[in-house]
Amino acid sequence: MKLHHKGYMLVLLERKQLAWDDVLIGEAMQEYQLSGRYWLNHFRIILDELASAGLISREDHRLDNRTDRLIFQYALSGFGRQRMQDTGLL
Amino acid sequence: MSSYSDYALQQHFVRHQRWGFRWALWTAVLWGAWYIPGTALWYEYPYNSISPDNQGQRLVATAVMTWIHALAVFVFLAVWNGSLGKLRDYGRTLVRFRKISKWYALASLFGGPMAIFGSYMAMGFVGPVFAAVTSLFYPVVGAVIARLWYQEKISAQAALGMAIIIMGGVVIYGPGFFGELGDDGSYVWLGYLGGILSAIGWGAEGAVASRAMDVTDPDVGIQCRFSFEILFWGLLVLPAVMVLTDQPVWFLLKETLLTPVAMTWMLLASVCHAFCYTAFYKSFSLIGVSRGEAIGNLYGVFAVIFVALVTLELPEWYFLLGLALTIIGSFVMFREPAEAVAQLRSVTETPGAG
Repeated sequence: MKLHHKGYMLVLLERKQLAWDDVLIGEAMQEYQLSGRYWLNHFRIILDELASAGLISREDHRLDNRTDRLIFQYALSGFGRQRMQDTGLL
Repeated sequence: MSSYSDYALQQHFVRHQRWGFRWALWTAVLWGAWYIPGTALWYEYPYNSISPDNQGQRLVATAVMTWIHALAVFVFLAVWNGSLGKLRDYGRTLVRFRKISKWYALASLFGGPMAIFGSYMAMGFVGPVFAAVTSLFYPVVGAVIARLWYQEKISAQAALGMAIIIMGGVVIYGPGFFGELGDDGSYVWLGYLGGILSAIGWGAEGAVASRAMDVTDPDVGIQCRFSFEILFWGLLVLPAVMVLTDQPVWFLLKETLLTPVAMTWMLLASVCHAFCYTAFYKSFSLIGVSRGEAIGNLYGVFAVIFVALVTLELPEWYFLLGLALTIIGSFVMFREPAEAVAQLRSVTETPGAG
């Protein structure tokens, strides 16, 4: 069985170490065979919640001129790694 | 370009904060509304046929009511998650019991049997106002647990706002509270115990659920929580009551389900609670347990407003004072810088730590 979405995002970021949100979201949507603006926003919210909880950190941000949207570069935090171990994701 | 980008970042945090407070406010509105059908249910058959002195049967009726309520909430949440396309994610989360969903099971124990039963004991043995006042302190319990357990950041401004909101609640219910404390009875200590249990139960529920929610979706999390509550009542408590006592569990179940008016109130209460809890859990992941629970505490204000609308009786004058305090407290919390709310925990960030 596949991982739940939030768990998958953590695993993906742990693998990549450092990644922009559009890359992470693109891979997640491909993994779960989802498309469209709704799911795009769904995964964005997941990353936002993970950052709020301190599991991942925002390392950088920039404006995407194509979509006129703020995009973030994320990295897994030490606390996030600890939580992944606690919850069996690592 | 850089300053525009920083401005966009600031706006992003403001939106994040506003959504968190918006969800918390919905919690308060729906929780307040829940008291109308929740109370009306007690005035319908079969519950109105139970003598007020028959404490044992009233406790069993509460258990039956809570189980049917949890089942109905589960159905509404299934519809909600189905429409959001999250049912598969619910399954994926629920099966990871040993490491993740066990926290929702624990949250359901704190929120269901401990808080609801505690509240009922406080209502039955001291009075409803006492029960309402003691429940108002649950954000303090939630905030303390969240702070000590996983270092949730609680700024001085958030703590001040929380204190003002609680004070507002006490002003609203205070005069009735002191009237009830004057009552004497040999079982009154059970009421005090129940009041403490309800505050600890609801406070702990938020903190415990948040422990699982940092790695799971809040919409899915709340459905997991109710799944466990259904199992707890349906497989453990009610069968045990049926086996060990001669209480009419089956009769109460059957009569509730077959009485359309009782079921109407039950469904109304359940739909309020389903989305109240959804909003509650969503607010935790955006603004934290302490802020979410403090704004959720405004349920006291909305409950009085809804009761006034239904009964067409104006609340007492001190309600306005309490209302003013709760609004001021909410604004104090809302004025907290959005950047402070964007990072809820005091954790050491180690980028790409390997």
